[in-house]
Amino acid sequence: MKKKIWSKYSYIFVFFIIFIVFAVSSHGLTWSGVMNIFRHSSVIGIVALGMGMVCLTGEIDLSVGSMLALVSGMSVVVFNATDSIAATLLSAVVFGAVCGLANGVLVGVVEMPAFIVTLATMLIYRSAAQYICQHIPKQLCGGGSSVYRMASDAKAYQTFYQMGNGKMVTIPYVGIILLLLSALFVYVLTGTKFGKKVYAVGSNQKGALMTGINVSLMKVVVFVVAGVMTGIGAFLWIAMNASSDPATTGNSYEMYAIAAVVLGGISMSGGKGHCLGILFGAMSYTIIDKIIVALKMDSLINDAIKGIILLAVIFVQVLGPKIRAKLNCYA
Amino acid sequence: MKLLEMHDICKSFDGVPVLKKVKLEVGAGEVHALLGENGAGKSTLMNILTGVFPKDDGTVIFDGKVYDNMTVKESEKAGIAFVHQELNLFNDLKVYENIFLTKEYTGRFGKLDKKRMRMEVMQLFERLGVAIDPERLAGDLKTSEKQMLEIAKALFFKAKLLILDEPTTSLNQEEVAHLFEIINGLKAEGTSFIFISHKMPEIFEIADKYTVFRNGTFVETGNIKDRMPEQITMSMVGDSYDAGEVYTIRKTGETVLKLNHLSGKGFHNIHMEIKKGQIIGLTGLQGSGSSELLQAIFGSIPVYEGTMEIFGKKVSCRSIHKAMRSKIAMLASNRKENSVIADMSLLENMYVAEHTLSAGKFHIHKKEEGRKFDHYKELLKIKAGSMDEPIVSLSGGNQQKVFLARWLNTEAEILLLDNPTQGIDVGAKAEIYRLILKLAESGKTILINTLEIPEIQKVADVCAVFYESSIVKILGHDEINERTVMLYATNAVADRKGISE
Repeated sequence: MKKKIWSKYSYIFVFFIIFIVFAVSSHGLTWSGVMNIFRHSSVIGIVALGMGMVCLTGEIDLSVGSMLALVSGMSVVVFNATDSIAATLLSAVVFGAVCGLANGVLVGVVEMPAFIVTLATMLIYRSAAQYICQHIPKQLCGGGSSVYRMASDAKAYQTFYQMGNGKMVTIPYVGIILLLLSALFVYVLTGTKFGKKVYAVGSNQKGALMTGINVSLMKVVVFVVAGVMTGIGAFLWIAMNASSDPATTGNSYEMYAIAAVVLGGISMSGGKGHCLGILFGAMSYTIIDKIIVALKMDSLINDAIKGIILLAVIFVQVLGPKIRAKLNCYA
Repeated sequence: MKLLEMHDICKSFDGVPVLKKVKLEVGAGEVHALLGENGAGKSTLMNILTGVFPKDDGTVIFDGKVYDNMTVKESEKAGIAFVHQELNLFNDLKVYENIFLTKEYTGRFGKLDKKRMRMEVMQLFERLGVAIDPERLAGDLKTSEKQMLEIAKALFFKAKLLILDEPTTSLNQEEVAHLFEIINGLKAEGTSFIFISHKMPEIFEIADKYTVFRNGTFVETGNIKDRMPEQITMSMVGDSYDAGEVYTIRKTGETVLKLNHLSGKGFHNIHMEIKKGQIIGLTGLQGSGSSELLQAIFGSIPVYEGTMEIFGKKVSCRSIHKAMRSKIAMLASNRKENSVIADMSLLENMYVAEHTLSAGKFHIHKKEEGRKFDHYKELLKIKAGSMDEPIVSLSGGNQQKVFLARWLNTEAEILLLDNPTQGIDVGAKAEIYRLILKLAESGKTILINTLEIPEIQKVADVCAVFYESSIVKILGHDEINERTVMLYATNAVADRKGISE
């Protein structure tokens, strides 16, 4: 029974181990330090939630990083053109949904392999983000040469920037949004009929089909959800940074998102895992960044450490049951 | 001298004897039909002969040599080849590559001698009268050509005895004729065959001798010439006549399901009218179309021609979801693949189908669902602890009851049961029969497809017997017995001109 809890909630153990290392390496915790983790986890966490739902159906979305660049760029353009936060949010969500819909239709309806489809759209979205940036009127991308920049003289600029960087009772707004969306995902995936269908499709696609679930539609929907989440992520990104660089924004985010999903205990073959893990997975990775800063290490070692931790956790998860089975065999 | 002699072969699995002192003798240049119902022990004996399972007791003499512990390698070397029903070919390799796999001719540095391999394959094909280009991909071949390729592969490595396991199931008449031509040609050269089939007309056309097994015991052997198809069917079935002690006559209501000349992949021109509360048994040999018919009614495979009326309403443009809306449910065959959602609990496995109908109300009220589960748990006598246990923790019979609950929960009126007792032990089977009758009594209409005739005998009001995609006979409850059904299912009594033409 104890072992069951460990394997079910291993992401929390991993999170706390990393958290303790962080506490030690940064010579004591401060409240604002902890809140900073929230802040920096928000975009990747929200993107990873969408990725998690896609992974639960047994699919994968490699395009989210590029999509983040494209949607955030387009949202900056919309903001510069309208000077309206609401219009910017709406366009971010709609752009994201459309990008996700393209993936979803090709995977769910045409039944092309998700890996190939989203690999292709990853190239397309990134390239589109960079191309458009060079070929639209300068004032729409804030006058910058290769970066989408929000016009700082816009009336709504201060409010918008405040949203991305402000705090409510010392908690950053963006962190609150991450928590709310995580809670929403936990509810949808565990407490609704839709959520159970997501698991059913990932667990046994043929079986799901035979119970009357429209598997194609489910796949389209999860990719659209992933797109919408990326759209929200893009909105927060520009709120926090006031700009988006199409060449670097969201670089490798698909990989970090997948890593957070896997670290959170969701099976890449679908059907297994709890999306609360994604939140912890994403935060674990943010903390690793902070540890490296605190230890004054070269930040280029960053990805190596993240990779090693991912390998170590999965190594234990895969090998553990095998060892246990062997021990039972001899017992 | 006999080519193969197997005497007093015994074999048990987990203490359950499946072969009890059976014998089989095959002469050189002989086509020997090995007959028996499903589970009679034919495949087990063949697996012992080809070294897949070790025998518990008995002697095996092949080509004058005694084999105590036959291994797969030894049997191959001795010249025994098993042409399986499910063909063991590599679809992505070429024809000649399939034949030579792991036995390729090589030149210097391990370079493949493709020219020589192709030539030898061509020569063999010519000798056999097979027109297949060795360069084609195995995956592009027709099923009949694949069958030929398997046989050719066995012959290439000088097989003396070929075991053909239901080789004609997926062949059309012309292809069967061609296969028989080849078999006759090889027979003249001295090659022997063990021919496993259920189709009487074929057996009477091709076989010289026969051996019948029943429930793991040897029944009889002899010359085909001296027997009538009916006699052989009788000795296959024996007197295991099992009266349907649970069956009761029920009142039936108005017509709920009408099939008007329905055709699709695997079934042809099916015309039926089914009344409320009826239990219809569908049976036939594997692949004769009864399972496909159920799948088509449920909308999981397409209908090519014909129409369907459910509760007097014409239904078109089929999908599984539409069928469910029309109050149709299907307990699919092959439970593990089609029903079990392995990562989910009992409760989740139960409610998932109903939730596609009530998707609009998206919140799950777990208490209410739990009450429903408890209701079905009691109704169907599901032996399980908590409803949160994983589905895979239950035995096959109890899993099947959960799936029955899944469909009853959708409030379906027409239940299609495709091989519902597959892989379920005897006790659980009896319970399932009782449930089926109970459900019919409460007004559900049930179509049950199974290969096991005693099952149909126990529950069905009428039995539709399929042979090669069509219904050849409809039997009333009192007429259903293994003998009669097998006679129609193997086409032993119907006009035989189709095959012997």
